[in-house]
Amino acid sequence: VTRPDAAVRLRRLLTIIPWIVDHGGSSLDELAARFGIKVAELERDLELVPFCGLPPYTPDRLIDCEIVDGRVFLRFAEYFGRPLSLTPGEGFALLAAGQALLAVPGADPSGSLAAALGKLAGLLGAGDGMAVELGPARYLEPLRAAAEAGERVEIDYYTFGRDELTTRRIDPRAVFAAAGQWYVDAYCHRAGDDRLFRVDRVRGVRPTGEHFEASSGGAAGAAGPGGSGVSAVPGGPGVSPGVIFNPRPSDRRVTLLLNANAAWVPESYPMESVEELPDGRLKVVFVASERAWLERLLLRLGPAAEVLDPAEVRVEAAEAARRLLVRYG
Amino acid sequence: MADRLERLTNLVAVLLETGRPLTLEEIVERVPGYPAERESYRRQFERDKATLREIGVPISLEALHAFDQETGYRIHRADYELPPLDLSDDERVALHLAVTAVRLEGQVGDPGAGAGRDALLKLGGTLGAAAPTLAALPDVPALPALFDAYRRRARVSFTYRGGPRRLDPYGIVFRNGHWYVVGFDGDREAIRAFRADRIESGIEPGRAGAFERPDGFDPASALRDEPWRFGDEEPVEALVLVSADQAGWVEADLGQKAVAERRDDGSAVLRMAVTNREAFRSWVLGLLDHAEVLAPPELRADMVAWLSAVAGSGAGA
Repeated sequence: VTRPDAAVRLRRLLTIIPWIVDHGGSSLDELAARFGIKVAELERDLELVPFCGLPPYTPDRLIDCEIVDGRVFLRFAEYFGRPLSLTPGEGFALLAAGQALLAVPGADPSGSLAAALGKLAGLLGAGDGMAVELGPARYLEPLRAAAEAGERVEIDYYTFGRDELTTRRIDPRAVFAAAGQWYVDAYCHRAGDDRLFRVDRVRGVRPTGEHFEASSGGAAGAAGPGGSGVSAVPGGPGVSPGVIFNPRPSDRRVTLLLNANAAWVPESYPMESVEELPDGRLKVVFVASERAWLERLLLRLGPAAEVLDPAEVRVEAAEAARRLLVRYG
Repeated sequence: MADRLERLTNLVAVLLETGRPLTLEEIVERVPGYPAERESYRRQFERDKATLREIGVPISLEALHAFDQETGYRIHRADYELPPLDLSDDERVALHLAVTAVRLEGQVGDPGAGAGRDALLKLGGTLGAAAPTLAALPDVPALPALFDAYRRRARVSFTYRGGPRRLDPYGIVFRNGHWYVVGFDGDREAIRAFRADRIESGIEPGRAGAFERPDGFDPASALRDEPWRFGDEEPVEALVLVSADQAGWVEADLGQKAVAERRDDGSAVLRMAVTNREAFRSWVLGLLDHAEVLAPPELRADMVAWLSAVAGSGAGA
């Protein structure tokens, strides 16, 4: 175990001393729990306190710290009567986390969290100019409820990449928001395997009356304590569409030449390689698993993209364009 | 030699309690634990100052007297102290759930570690159970400075897409997986939104209280997410026929107000105000065979010409 450095311990001390000044007689156990440290760490920090104070560091100028029957008392520490103000990063992080949780459907808009955020925004002068939106989630609540209760459900799901609507039974294990979307991590009985579903592409949820055993495996890793139906985000920190999209060996590798105005493509999708050519065009290589997804991309790009490889993709794009043209007679 | 933590604590106490700025020599004299030799204590003090600033202790450097060249250090209590917030323990429990359930991406280690937890400790501690992770938000380096400028109503300067920008930040919005700062663009004299992770420079704040946010301004609605409306083109009203299998969610997406007609076969005609034809075309093409531009003739002809070009380009392959 590495010893926390002086900055970490100082920040902690400047946080704990004011609390004890205000709440003399708090127990070591309660303080350690409140500030998320071990009792031994707290004792080590408190041992230092009697050596701190003001010149000339005579007994009446040093902080007096007494621990009686496991209860802590401080005297002569009035100048540390308040904690250090929040840094912009701390204020922002706390407000953002709170607003995000409040944005989850089902959150109580007039509960303790909302009250706390109101006070915090007032303190920070943050007004009402901050908003956190976690993504469209029409069927979020039934899916979260099913995950929480371990209920198998039947969903209608739109597979964007194949432009196809299917009905499947799933065992939803966890629901979470990442990269601007809500996802449900589930065992899919149609696929016979674990799948991540985008909640905004779920077009219907029906109960089956069946239950499933929550297992610890699966894409989401260990489920949260108490099987509460929410779990760690797969892939850990840094979840991005690139992590959520896992290419299969059978997928096609496509090479495109993009004009400069199509630079959004490598910004939006995971790429195997991006090379800038002397004329400013980009040569990109990526894996495309679904034909409809690729059709969409090439139709949108039009003359801004040239298919280098494979040649059949060029034909497919032209065919898709002709198919759509039929509607325009 | 005294423990470094002890010296740092005493340094904070001395700088808080001084009624006037203290020179380096006065500080070294008052705070035990600095080396005797000038170059050594100067270096040691620089390190201590950096540590204090790292944890957010506001040390100010000021002239000792008016018109004086000599400078000294002090901590103003008003800058240092957290004003009372009067949170209840229930509210602390709720905030603790929030900082554990919602993770700022880029924070590794314990769930709930990081700046949000540090803030909560200052506000009286982390009470109650931690929640499993429910959402991950990206952490972007520019955010603390943008947030600070937003709350202090300071105009900010930064580089975006290679050019300098000046913005009165009216709000900060998280949408579609990205953080945006929304405000009044001083050069373009219009409301603009910028993706925080695409800002290419540091954030240069101006003086506080430089602007007033317009009454009733709602950053979330100012940040329009309908891309066909992001544009400066002459607005035109388009009608798009969406087939039955996609009509439901398109309606949900655009809102019931956008529905111009519902047909017996379940398809729907949607009305859209277009100020960006390229974005509009892209949106319609995203629906593949499920959508058709009905009107105006000009946009319908655009679509036919576009599709014909793509159809033709593959013909020779």
